[in-house]
Amino acid sequence: MNAWKIAWFEYRRRIRSKWFIIGTFGMPILILGISLGTGYMAGSGAGIETKNFGLIDETGFYGEQLSLVLDKRFADNETPPFNIAVSMGSFESLKTQFDELVNDKTLDGYFVIPYDFISNPVLRNYSRSSSTFRSSDVIESELKELLIKEKASSLQLSEDVLEEIFFDVDVAHFDIGSSEERETEELIADYIAPFIFMFLLFLGIFTGGQLLLRAVLEERSSRVIEVLLSTVSYNELMGGKILGLGLLGLTQSAIYLIVAFFAGSYYDLSIITPAIGLLYFTYFILGYLLYAGIYIGVGALFDSEQEAQQAIQIITFIAIIPMVLWTMVIENPNSTLVNVLTYIPLVTPFFMMIKIAVGETSIFQIVTSIIVMIISVYGSIRLAAKVFRTGILLYGKRITLPEIYRWLRA
Amino acid sequence: MIEIKGISKTYDSINAVAALDMTIQPGRIYGFLGPNGAGKTTAIRMLMNIIIPDEGTILFEGIDQRPPSNQIGYLPEERGLYQKISVFETLQYFAHLRSVSHPNDKIRAYLQRFDLGNRLQSKVSELSKGNQQKLQFINTILHDPQYIVLDEPFSGLDPVNQLLLKEILEELKQAGKTIIFSSHQMDQVERLCDDVALINQGQLITAGELKTIMKSEGVQRLQVTPVNEKDLTHQCFSAFISERKNGSVFIEIDGHSKQDIIATLNKSIDLKSVKVAEPGLEEIFIHLVQGSSS
Repeated sequence: MNAWKIAWFEYRRRIRSKWFIIGTFGMPILILGISLGTGYMAGSGAGIETKNFGLIDETGFYGEQLSLVLDKRFADNETPPFNIAVSMGSFESLKTQFDELVNDKTLDGYFVIPYDFISNPVLRNYSRSSSTFRSSDVIESELKELLIKEKASSLQLSEDVLEEIFFDVDVAHFDIGSSEERETEELIADYIAPFIFMFLLFLGIFTGGQLLLRAVLEERSSRVIEVLLSTVSYNELMGGKILGLGLLGLTQSAIYLIVAFFAGSYYDLSIITPAIGLLYFTYFILGYLLYAGIYIGVGALFDSEQEAQQAIQIITFIAIIPMVLWTMVIENPNSTLVNVLTYIPLVTPFFMMIKIAVGETSIFQIVTSIIVMIISVYGSIRLAAKVFRTGILLYGKRITLPEIYRWLRA
Repeated sequence: MIEIKGISKTYDSINAVAALDMTIQPGRIYGFLGPNGAGKTTAIRMLMNIIIPDEGTILFEGIDQRPPSNQIGYLPEERGLYQKISVFETLQYFAHLRSVSHPNDKIRAYLQRFDLGNRLQSKVSELSKGNQQKLQFINTILHDPQYIVLDEPFSGLDPVNQLLLKEILEELKQAGKTIIFSSHQMDQVERLCDDVALINQGQLITAGELKTIMKSEGVQRLQVTPVNEKDLTHQCFSAFISERKNGSVFIEIDGHSKQDIIATLNKSIDLKSVKVAEPGLEEIFIHLVQGSSS
């Protein structure tokens, strides 16, 4: 009963705080803003600077041709990625002049099409830095096309024949049993959805964990803990905190899922099914409880938030693994590595959520992963209770690892 | 009745409390006195079941179990308050935890009494130290507990509020509550206690009824006031262990009769008044600590 009272107090005072409101609604807006903003910036050409390249054409043919096709290619670009100035002549005679132009920064670099290019197609690039690297890809592909056309005409193949030979292949995507072709937006949403689920889980679990850490440190440093412990038991206090801040995390997750559901419906995408929703909350609860144990334990050991945050960083670092590996999990959800990582309790909820959202898991994996999590949660909370009980009132004392080990064995 | 039987607590081979025995009678004020670092807070935390003794037991009404939280009120040594919530919310939360019925009326009444009636919605962090201490005290007694345990309750309070606190403690005693409090300012609180325990370096120096201790342990002294102030330094005092204070000379009676002392002094100087001085608790404490160490 007391645990519920504590839970309600923690829940109520935090859900009304401006930081919860800012965090809950601000974070998705911020993430959305950043992704849309960067997308716009990338598309608008802002931040792109037109590079100037020289081209020494020893063949006396390809340089001019290349210049023409590039003009055509960049005709619609307000800021073309690069300009190219063609000079015909030998590398030996022009080298000094071009090197100087690069050194005084008139040119960003220059290319050389050697005289034997048709038999030995190697384009040489001279530059000050690696910033010309991407541009050479474009030049390379255009030159390749020119070479193919040149070789085709020497073989007396007509343009029509060339078009017959070179064509693009399109892929049309269908769901099993459906005759309706899937749209690109839908495919992208399907690809991104698992990441979003994992990210929301991540956000919910760690927001709850961090709040828990702060709540313990606040009570410890303000000595409220003593008044509380004279009123309720250790287990009630710890349980109440975990419960209250867990409910806060659940509220946050529910808000996110509802928003995601309506956003999905608006675009006619059904990324959230009841089964996914149910499993999301299952993994949220288990993941949160696992980390709650860790955060409470750490909170009971340190006097200052700074020290506690440093200690918790190691754990958070492990939990970042799914954030780094998510594309690998989406593309290879049942590879041996992914399957092994899935059963490491600290990352199980995140990996499982991706696999479930991708649709590449089995009932067996879901059940076994939940069992692994339940055992881990039991261990985590049990150990946390021991550390909490002993460490919470040891003020101003640096606690050593052997001491913690002794408490855990007690 | 609370019986503390042989409780000990050791931290890193330092005996914070060593084999402490105390009996606290119901309906009395029990002073737990000693200098800073004597082990008072550790003993009180053990009494409150916040820390577990390495040895010994604590019995409440003969049972080795802490009474329910609504029967015990505890004021820790340092401020135990949430800083970012309001005065009213603080008291409401703890009242809720202790299942207080109609808490809002009680909260308002206590805040009025402690001159905090207009600070209901203030955040705790906005209160002065003294007001925070008052708030904490209200929090300790709001649920009308049978046992009231106060660790250094007078610290941070100005003289007016110290007086108010003493007045309320007297009222609570009249209402039959058992009050245990610790303090390092012995003379300030000695008139408040029925019983005391004096503790030093984790060990009990003495414990029992204050009057009895005063009588048995106190060094009887004569307070002598000469007619002429210059006689305060007269050579005749050198025959005794004496101390000059506030225009009088305090002479230890130990080993002499009162009549002998007066007769000896009368031979040399004129005396305005002679009376037996009541020893202070602090003097008794120093006397006992010196006695035990020698």
